[in-house]
Amino acid sequence: MKTPRPERLALLLATGLAFLAGPAAALELGELMAMLAQRRSGDARFSEQRFVSGLDQTLRYAGTLSFTAPDRLARHTQTPRAESFVVEGNRLVLERGGRSRQMQLDSQPELAAMVAAMRGTLSGDASALRQHFKPTVSGTPAQWSLTLVPLEYRLLAVVRQLRIDGTSSDLHTVEVQLADGDRSVMTIEPIPANPTLPLPPKPRASGP
Amino acid sequence: MRPHVDALPRGIPVALWLAAMLACAAVIVQARFTADLSAFLPAAPDARQQALIDQLKSGAAARTLLLGIDGGSATQRAQASRALAARLRASGLFEQVQNGESDAWVEVGRWVVEHRYLLSPAIEPRRFQSDGLREAIDDTVSLLGTPAGALAKPLLDRDPTGETQRIAEAALAGGGPRTEQGVWASRDGGRAVLLTQTRADGGDLDAQEAALGIIRSTFAALAPPGLALQATGTPRFAVDSRAQIRDEVSVLAIAGTVLMGGLLLAAFASIAALGVAMLPVATAVMAGVAAVALTFGTVHGVTLGFGTTLIGEAVDYAIYYLIQARSADATAAVAGGWRHWLRTGWPTVRLGLLTSICGFGALAFSGFPGLAQLGVFSIAGLIAAVLTTRHLLPVLMPDGARGVGLRRHLGRVALRLVTLLPRVRHLLTVLGLAGLVLLVTRHDRLWQAELSSLSPVPAELLQLDESLRADLGAGDSGTVIVVQASDVESALQRAESAAALLDRLVDEGQLAGYQSPTRWLPSRATQQRRQAALPEPAQLDAALAQATLGGPLSAARLAPFVDDVQAARAQAPLTLESLRGSAVAPLVSNLLFKRTDDGWTALLSLQPGAAAFDETALQRSLAGISGAQVIAIGDELRRLYRRYLGEAQAQALLGALGVVVLIALWLRSLPRVLAVCQPLALAVLLTMAGLTLLGVPLGILHLVGLLLVVAVGSNYALYFDLLRHQDSLDADTLASLLLANATTVLSFGLIAASDIPALSAIGRVVAPGALLALLLSAAYAPRVRRDSPSGSAV
Repeated sequence: MKTPRPERLALLLATGLAFLAGPAAALELGELMAMLAQRRSGDARFSEQRFVSGLDQTLRYAGTLSFTAPDRLARHTQTPRAESFVVEGNRLVLERGGRSRQMQLDSQPELAAMVAAMRGTLSGDASALRQHFKPTVSGTPAQWSLTLVPLEYRLLAVVRQLRIDGTSSDLHTVEVQLADGDRSVMTIEPIPANPTLPLPPKPRASGP
Repeated sequence: MRPHVDALPRGIPVALWLAAMLACAAVIVQARFTADLSAFLPAAPDARQQALIDQLKSGAAARTLLLGIDGGSATQRAQASRALAARLRASGLFEQVQNGESDAWVEVGRWVVEHRYLLSPAIEPRRFQSDGLREAIDDTVSLLGTPAGALAKPLLDRDPTGETQRIAEAALAGGGPRTEQGVWASRDGGRAVLLTQTRADGGDLDAQEAALGIIRSTFAALAPPGLALQATGTPRFAVDSRAQIRDEVSVLAIAGTVLMGGLLLAAFASIAALGVAMLPVATAVMAGVAAVALTFGTVHGVTLGFGTTLIGEAVDYAIYYLIQARSADATAAVAGGWRHWLRTGWPTVRLGLLTSICGFGALAFSGFPGLAQLGVFSIAGLIAAVLTTRHLLPVLMPDGARGVGLRRHLGRVALRLVTLLPRVRHLLTVLGLAGLVLLVTRHDRLWQAELSSLSPVPAELLQLDESLRADLGAGDSGTVIVVQASDVESALQRAESAAALLDRLVDEGQLAGYQSPTRWLPSRATQQRRQAALPEPAQLDAALAQATLGGPLSAARLAPFVDDVQAARAQAPLTLESLRGSAVAPLVSNLLFKRTDDGWTALLSLQPGAAAFDETALQRSLAGISGAQVIAIGDELRRLYRRYLGEAQAQALLGALGVVVLIALWLRSLPRVLAVCQPLALAVLLTMAGLTLLGVPLGILHLVGLLLVVAVGSNYALYFDLLRHQDSLDADTLASLLLANATTVLSFGLIAASDIPALSAIGRVVAPGALLALLLSAAYAPRVRRDSPSGSAV
C-alpha cells in the first residue's frame, strides 16, 4: 500500500522538526519513567564483559536477571561459576563460593545506590534515581539512553557513571564506568514474556 | 514481771538504749551504701545464670552506651556524629567510640591483613594446591570490575585468595546499622546513632556518671541548635536510678517524718508526746540499718527508702502505748498508766510483733538481695521499736500522752465506724465472694509481672533503648552461647567448635551472623593448624603456576603473595597478651573474659537471620561441646524470675501460715482464730481483686505487699478480738487503732507514689490493704454489748 506523497513529506518534516525542536520534543525522564513503569516484572539473560586494568583477560560472566515489581531484583550468574545476588526490600542475600550471606542493604550505602539505580530504572521510579544520581536522558522512546552520575562523593569515588540503553520498556545494555577506568558492559536479552514456543512454564507471568 | 520492772532504776533502760544506739551508729558509720542495680538482679542459682548476671552487672553491656542524635538535617546530624566521636575518642575515657566511620576501622583492617593467614577460616592445605588456588583466585577476581572490587584490587597481589575479604565478610555479617553520609543512622534515617564503651568498669558508677557527663557536655558544646542527644544503656540506667534512689530516699524520709509528725501533733497536741512517739521510730531505723550492714556488708538505697514505711509501722507501737497507757487514767481502774498498758495492751503488741516478724521473716530468705535486705531491716527495726516502747517509753512517759488533741474526735469516728460497719457485713461478704470469683477466673493470668517490673528504669527510657538497639541493628538477638572452661585455650577451642555449628546455621539463613572472640583470637591449636597448611615457597610457586595457567591473573605478579605466605609460616601466634593494645583488643575483651573463679568464659552472640531460628536444635547440637550453652537472655531472666516468684509464693504462704499459727497459739480457740482470720483473708482478696481490676500485673513485690497486709492487719484484728473479750468498746483504744492505721496507710501511701517501682508496688498494695484490714476487722468484729458512752467518747 502506497502512502500519498504529500502526507509522507509531512511525516518526514514532522519527524525532522521534532529533532530540531530540542528539549520540548526529546524524550524526557518523566516520559521514560512512565514507559518503564508499565513493565511490572520480567526475566532476561545477560552476558557481561569486564575490562579490568592489570588483568590479562577480559572477564566474562553470563546468567539470568529477574525483576519483580516493586523491589525484588535477582542476578544469578551461571558461568564461569555459580553465584547469586538477590535483593528484596532492604534485605540482600549473596551466595558465592558455596557460602551464603545476608545483610541489610542500607548498611552498605554504595551498594544500596547501585541497587537503587537498577530498581529505579526497572520500575520507572524517577525519585529513587534522583536520590542518588543526576539522571540525563537522550534518544527517543524507541532508542533511549539514560546516564546516571552519582551525587554522593563516596560513590563517586568508586563509580564514575552508569549508562543504561534501551528500547521502549526493554533494557538492552548497562554499562558501569568505575573511577579507576575499569568498566563493565552487561548486555541484556529479555526472555519473551508470552512465548508462543513451548518454553517451560514460568512461576510468574511477566508484564507486557 | 511488774516487780522486776519496778525494781529497775529509771536510768538503766535509758543507759542501755543509749549504748545500743551508739553501737548501731558505730556500725552505720562504717557501712557501705550503694544504689546500683544489683538489688533488682536476683542472686543466680547456677553457674550459667551467674555468668549471665555477672555480664549484666559488669560485662561489656554495663560499659556500653547507645547514643542517638535527633533533630536538624541529615548533614547536621552526620557532622555532629563525627565531631562528637572524634572528641570522645580523644578524651581517652573510652575503649571504643563507634559511629560507622570507616576510618575507625582502618587500624583493624591493617591488623587483619597482617594476620590473615592465622585468622582466615578458609586456610587449609587444599586452599594452596592448584585447584584450591584457582577457585580462590576466581572468587576474588569476580569482584573486580564492580564497585565491590575497589577494596580487593589494591590487595590483589598480596592476597589473591581473598583471605582478608573472607575474614571481613564473616565479621561484618548482617551488615550492621544503616549508614548515611558515612555514619550510622536509624533505619528510617532520622537519627544518627553511636556506640561508646568506657574503659572504666561497669560497676564503677562514679566513672560511668562522669563519662555520661562528658558525653553530654561535649555534645552541648559542638551541636548546633535543634539537635538533641539521647543516651541509653545499662550505665545510664544505673547512674539514673542511683540518683533517683538517693533523691527519693531523702524526700521520702523527710515527707514521712513531717507527715507523721503532723499527724501525731494533731492527735496528741503535745510536742513531748511527739518526741516520745518518734523515739521507737528512730531506734527502729538505726537498728534496721545496722542489722543490714552487719548481715550484707552493704546497705542498698532501696532498703532505706523502705525505711519510711517502718516509720509508719514503728510509730504504731508508740501510739498504742501513749493512748492506752493514758486511758487507764480516764477509767481510773488501775493506778499507773503504763502498768495498765502492760497488762492489757502489751500482750497484743507482742503478738503483733511476732506476726510481723513472721511476715518479714519470709522476705529475709528471698533470692533478691533487695528484698532480703528489706526483711532483715524490718525485723531488726520492729524488734528495736517494740523494745523501746516496752522499756523506754514507760520510763519517759509513765502515764501515756498528756494532750487530748484530736483524739476525742478520732474516738468518736472510730465508734461510729464500729457501729456502722457491721451492718454492711453481708455486702462486704458478697464483695469478697465476687473478688474470689474474679481471681479464680483469672488465676492463670494474675501473676504476669516480669523481672523488668522490679527494675527502676522508666518505661520511656526502656523504649528509647529498644529503638536505639534496633537502629544499631547489629542484630542483638538477645541470644548468646556461653562457653566456659578452666583456661583460655580450652575456652577458645570450645568456642571454635560452637562457631562451626553456627556457620552451618548462617548458611541455612537461620542466622545472619554471629560474633565470636575466635574471629580475632583463634585457639593456639587452630593457629598452628593453619600455619601448618601454608606451603613452602617452591611448592606454592608450582601450584600457582598451574592454577593461573590461562587465567586472568599471571603468577609472575603474585610474588608478594608468596612472600606473605612465607612470612606467615614463621609468624608468632596470636595470644591474649599480644593482642593487648591492638586495634582488635576491645573486640576480644568483650567476648572473652576471666571469671571471678579464675575460669574463662567466651561469649558468642547470635544475630537473627531471615529464617526461623531453632534454638532447641542448636541446644541439642551444642550438647556435644562441654561447657557450652545457649542462653536466650530474655527467656533466661523470665525463667529466673518465675522461679523466684514461685519461691516467694511459697515463702509468703509460709509466712501467712506462721501468722495464723501464732494467732491460734495465742487465742487457743477455733472460732476466735476464724474471726481474726476472716477480715485478713477478705482484705487480701479485695486488694488483689482491686489490683487485678485495675489491670495491674501482679509480681513478687505485690506478693510481699500482701504478706505485709496480713502481718499488719493481724494487729487490728487481734485488737478487735481483745476488745470483744473486754466486753467493752473503749473509745481510746479505738482511737489508737485508727491513728496507727492512718500512719501506716500514709507511710505506705507515700511510697506508693514513689517512682521506684520496687517501692511503689509494695506501697500500692499495703496502703489500701491495711485500710481494708482495719475496716474489715471492725466490720467483722463480733457484736458486743457496749457501755453507755463513757470516758472520752461522748
